[in-house]
Amino acid sequence: MNKKIIAILMVALVAFASGVFAQEKVTLNVLNYADATQAGYSDEVALWAKFQADNPDITIVKEELNNEPFHQKVATYVAAGQMPDVFYSWPGGRSTAVQKKHLAKDLSKLLPKDLLALWPAAALNPKAQDSGYLSELPRAITYTSVMYTNVKLLKDNGLAIPKTYAELKRMVPKLKAKGIIPVAMANKDTWVMQSCLFSTISGRIAGDAFIDQVLAGKAKFTDKPFVAALTFVDTLYKDGVISRDSIQTPYGDVPGIFASGKAAFLIDGDWRQAAFLTDKTSGTALISPAAQKSDFALVEFPAIPGEKNPGLISAVLGTGMSISAAIPAGSAKAKAAVKLLTWWYGKEWTTMGLETGAYIPARKDIKSDKVEPFTTMMSAYYASVPKTGYVLDGVLDAAVCTPLNDGLQQIGLGTKTPAAVASDMQAAFDTWKAAQK
Amino acid sequence: MTEEKVYTSHLGQIGDFLIKFFSYVIMTVFALLTIYPLIWLMINSLKPTPEFQISKLSFPASPTFANYTGAWKIGDFDKLIGNSLIYTIGTTIGVIFLSVLAGFAFAKIKRKATKPLYASFIIGLTLTTQSLMIPLFLEANLLHIYNTRFAVLLIYIGSGLPMGLYLCTEFIKSVPDSLVESSRIDGAGYFRIFLSIILPMTVPVITVLAILNITATWNEFALINILVSKTELKSLPLGINKFSGTLSSDYGKQFAALTVGMLPMLVFYLIFRKQITKGVAAGAVKG
Repeated sequence: MNKKIIAILMVALVAFASGVFAQEKVTLNVLNYADATQAGYSDEVALWAKFQADNPDITIVKEELNNEPFHQKVATYVAAGQMPDVFYSWPGGRSTAVQKKHLAKDLSKLLPKDLLALWPAAALNPKAQDSGYLSELPRAITYTSVMYTNVKLLKDNGLAIPKTYAELKRMVPKLKAKGIIPVAMANKDTWVMQSCLFSTISGRIAGDAFIDQVLAGKAKFTDKPFVAALTFVDTLYKDGVISRDSIQTPYGDVPGIFASGKAAFLIDGDWRQAAFLTDKTSGTALISPAAQKSDFALVEFPAIPGEKNPGLISAVLGTGMSISAAIPAGSAKAKAAVKLLTWWYGKEWTTMGLETGAYIPARKDIKSDKVEPFTTMMSAYYASVPKTGYVLDGVLDAAVCTPLNDGLQQIGLGTKTPAAVASDMQAAFDTWKAAQK
Repeated sequence: MTEEKVYTSHLGQIGDFLIKFFSYVIMTVFALLTIYPLIWLMINSLKPTPEFQISKLSFPASPTFANYTGAWKIGDFDKLIGNSLIYTIGTTIGVIFLSVLAGFAFAKIKRKATKPLYASFIIGLTLTTQSLMIPLFLEANLLHIYNTRFAVLLIYIGSGLPMGLYLCTEFIKSVPDSLVESSRIDGAGYFRIFLSIILPMTVPVITVLAILNITATWNEFALINILVSKTELKSLPLGINKFSGTLSSDYGKQFAALTVGMLPMLVFYLIFRKQITKGVAAGAVKG
């Protein structure tokens, strides 16, 4: 009898002990935005595998999508109210529905304080996210306007980096006479002019405060400051600084045009630097690291006549990861999600982002001597920018931004005046505003 | 033969020649317009990305398959091609089997419920995939079949049935009722009639259905994007999407992935082009 009792007690003890000491296995469904053709993708895959190997108690079920299929899937998850446990998101824009419905947790309360302290204040600003709190921690701050400059080509033609628009304009006849494009831009896609140049022009001439006033109904796009910004785009085309042919140039063509010395400048976003870095598959680069260092510079667009905000460059908080609000607080799943994000924003991952050129981390302590000159120059460029301003498609609804994007192209084609574009935008804004009530 | 007749016959020969000549010119132009992008894609898939960005039209200086090995590994294409085959074969067999059987019933078995039942299936032709995406996602979750091959096959077969039923029913309607009736008088049951009389006559419509379903299922994207999240359950189009970034920098791998996605359908067409042409023509005439 005693033996039986002891045996039962031992079995019970073993069962209890295994319940207490066995690690609880957690499955995390992760929706990641992944473009396999972007710099660093293979390294990213290897790091995901490493996290999985290092954390056998967490099973990562990772879904990778990009472009519209990603947003369609998110829309389905939102409509169903079933967000993945961890998901890639934007501070606003395409993630507005996720943000405004508060489908993500506030990361400022979950991530370790010492980790958050490594981010600049601008990246942690809760007001910069549509949710009003830190629903995603931006891994980078994206500067959407960079003037990639072929310094050697300028020198060979007796020219120097322009400080003012007048200096840039004076270069045009000389460069054109030699068959060189003064400023290359891929304006076939309508978003490029708006995101990579006009937002900066608008920020310098009209200012973010003016856009805020328009959004509050206290000013109009048809007012003088905004029309003046649009008129400057017209001037760029009329002066030949930007060729009307750029409206026929696809987005994929400009790195080749610029790298082959057919253009003196390229205006594009900071992400474009990755196109020039060494291709790991072939070991070749569009611009070799040595040439990047000796022959090129990354500068801001020169001073514009009548600008109120000198040196302003359009920039937007980058993307990051969010944790589903549906995960119970303090649960094993919540802890696993925090562990995953702490690692995703950790030193190893962010250094990989920097070294592969995938992005320049917003995290302040990330340095590496393995980066190519363009990446180093981009960090220096960020530091040289005195003030950042809105990227308009980040603050305007798509219904208002579409007439702007189309209108900028129409100004380039000479089929619409700046005043008419401003008028179209105001009409679109009024309609959108009325629909919000 | 008079001189005038010889002249007229000669003119006729010249006319025939000119018609043939211009027909071939036009067909050659259209063939080139179709083939050139495919060849361009394949040529550029053999170049490193920096070489492509500098020179988009030239032949590769030193052709490399590194883009293919890279894309194959990154895209998990070995898994995805297997899945695509399972979905395509399963859906095609399922749709054909159910469509022919139900088409026979709707066309030849007259009951009160026949018309409403037939209409309830045909109404599916008017529904867009987009309108079904969220309800299907919710249903799959509710039934606990989200992230399963069963859900994908079930929904693929379901979405292929309206068109399959419509084609089969209308095709079988053209088989004379007297054939069915005389067989019934001879004592044959419906299943026997179906096997011995209807099925052999429906080969053209089965071919059409097979072509429609194989191409549609192989290329289907929207539904499977909603129904699965695990890589091991995804199909080839989802894998190729991974290489279609708007800000792409690695064009070599993108082109290699696109070529991998395109080749199976190209091979399918080359092998079965006669059957495809015959099947579509027969289906178009008899349906």
